[in-house]
Amino acid sequence: MTLLSPITAKAAELRSVFDQARAAPFFSGKEEQTEDLLAIRVSRDAYAIRVSEISGLTTDRKIVAFPSPVPELLGVAGVRGALVPVYSLAMFLGYNAETERTRWFALCGAEDPVALVFSDFEGYVRVPLTELYATEQKDVSRTHVEHVVRATDMVRAVVSISLIRKTIQRRCGNDGVSKER
Amino acid sequence: MWTFGRKIAAGFTLAFLLLLGIGGVSYRSISALTSTSQLVTHTHQVLEHIADVLSLLKDAETGQRGYVITGDEAFLEPYQAAVGTVHNVVKDLRQLTADNPNQQSRIDKMEPLVAAKLAELKQTIDLRRKGNIEETTKLVRSGEGKKFMDDLRLLLTQMEREERDLLKQRADEVATASSSAKSTIIYGTAFCLVFVMAAGFFITRSLTGQIGAAIRHVQSSSAELQSAANQQASGAKESSTAMNEITTTISELLATSRQIAESAQRVAHVAEETSSAARSGDTTVQKSHESVNSIKRQVDLIVTHMLDLGKKSQQIGGILEIINELAEQTNILAINATIEASGAGDAGKRFAVVADEIRKLADRVGGSTKEIRVLIEEIRAAVNTTVMATEGGSKAVDLGARQFMEVASALKQITELLGTTTAAAREIELSTKQQATAVEQVNVAVSNVAKAAKETEVSSGQTLQTAGQLAGLSRDLIRLIQANASA
Repeated sequence: MTLLSPITAKAAELRSVFDQARAAPFFSGKEEQTEDLLAIRVSRDAYAIRVSEISGLTTDRKIVAFPSPVPELLGVAGVRGALVPVYSLAMFLGYNAETERTRWFALCGAEDPVALVFSDFEGYVRVPLTELYATEQKDVSRTHVEHVVRATDMVRAVVSISLIRKTIQRRCGNDGVSKER
Repeated sequence: MWTFGRKIAAGFTLAFLLLLGIGGVSYRSISALTSTSQLVTHTHQVLEHIADVLSLLKDAETGQRGYVITGDEAFLEPYQAAVGTVHNVVKDLRQLTADNPNQQSRIDKMEPLVAAKLAELKQTIDLRRKGNIEETTKLVRSGEGKKFMDDLRLLLTQMEREERDLLKQRADEVATASSSAKSTIIYGTAFCLVFVMAAGFFITRSLTGQIGAAIRHVQSSSAELQSAANQQASGAKESSTAMNEITTTISELLATSRQIAESAQRVAHVAEETSSAARSGDTTVQKSHESVNSIKRQVDLIVTHMLDLGKKSQQIGGILEIINELAEQTNILAINATIEASGAGDAGKRFAVVADEIRKLADRVGGSTKEIRVLIEEIRAAVNTTVMATEGGSKAVDLGARQFMEVASALKQITELLGTTTAAAREIELSTKQQATAVEQVNVAVSNVAKAAKETEVSSGQTLQTAGQLAGLSRDLIRLIQANASA
């Protein structure tokens, strides 16, 4: 009974939170300017992705590899009934992609979507915009990072999906991948 | 090694043999001298008889001449004495020279001449007696008588010369024998003296050395004897003291033996009581064994329930995995709903709030499932530990049951052994009483030994005194054989 009592307490707490959420009004009077972020890990390093820059999140999709001159392109995967090119977020951030797990897929772009894969998803965080700090682009690992944020008690680099998409579009424009699509 | 008696006997034997040799040689020399002296005396007797024969014949002639001249019968007295004696003298002379053929031959010649001379003298005397002076003178003047006398003188001179030669020869022999005897006595005595002195010197030196060594040995032995007697005396004193202590100890031992006998009696009594208690304990152990078997069954049941609990925990873990997965998928759906809601503009704001709440709930569910997983793992670990502990308890109960059986067996054995102990205690009591009697006898014996030790102590003192006297005696002996000895 002693061992099971924390579980019972946890269940009661969850029930209470859910009930309170349902009981509270949808909008309070004054709303703070916030940014929604996904806390992730790339090669065990802490990063964040803006929720506003992705069109969906999914897991465990089969990647079908095909030869390509673009090293970051791992292959294609079926997501929501469509074939989506899958790129390694780790390689865009300057890591070696061979040792990286490919469990999480972040879909980017509504009309011409691409998927960026990463190993670990830690949670959904909402931070005030004042917690976002601009960063200087000095090395390769920071090419696709414009801000850093303090979230979940640590400082995380905020990956700029828009910059990554520009990089992809630039490369696809050169080798003609986008023409095939 | 020769003994003293043998050495002395050998020295005296050699000296005796030498003296015997010297005495034998001297006896032989003196015998020879005596014999030669007898022969000289004999020769002197022969010479005397030869002189007597001539003297008697001269006396007869003197008487004959006096008578012839005077006619007086008185002058015939020497004649008549010589006529009556001369034959006997010649006869003795023949006997004295019986071993000399030369003298016998001369005597053979002399006897007729003596007879002829005496006949001539008698004829002359007869003629004168008859008064026939002329005829008598004529006969005298014829020189017949003188011739007889000359022949006789010649024979007697030869005989005397031979006897003188013999006398000289025998005198030389006497001198030689005397000299030989003298030399033998002088040199033999001197040699014997030298030998006796040498033998005396060597025997004395040998005996002095041997006796001196023996006396020194006796001296050192007496010193050792003194030391040993001292040690013996001190040892005897210690023995006497030790015997006294032993006597005291034995008295204590005797008292202890009596106490042991009493204790053995009490032990027998206690053993009987213990035997009764052990039988009672055996019954209690049997009951306890049944209780332990009941506990064992309960423990087995607990183990079965705990194993079920472990399996259920595993099943809960599996369900929790599903819940976790559902929470994750819910979270993903909520995120995607949020994204979709944000894309729907103001119309989607309300939906976004709901999606956000769902996401938060999913987040909490995910966190809670993690916590619950930890709790479940702890429960499983606790169950495993409990199962192991219970199994250990079950084994301990098994062991306890076995030990109870062993205790029961041991109690039976104790009961049997207590019977043996009671018998043994009785035997100990009896033996200890016998031992007490024996110890009393030993006490008496030890008292005797103590007395003997005291006597030994006294005897050691006497031995010490005797050893001292022996040492003094050996010093005196050393002084006797070595005048300048300082020992």
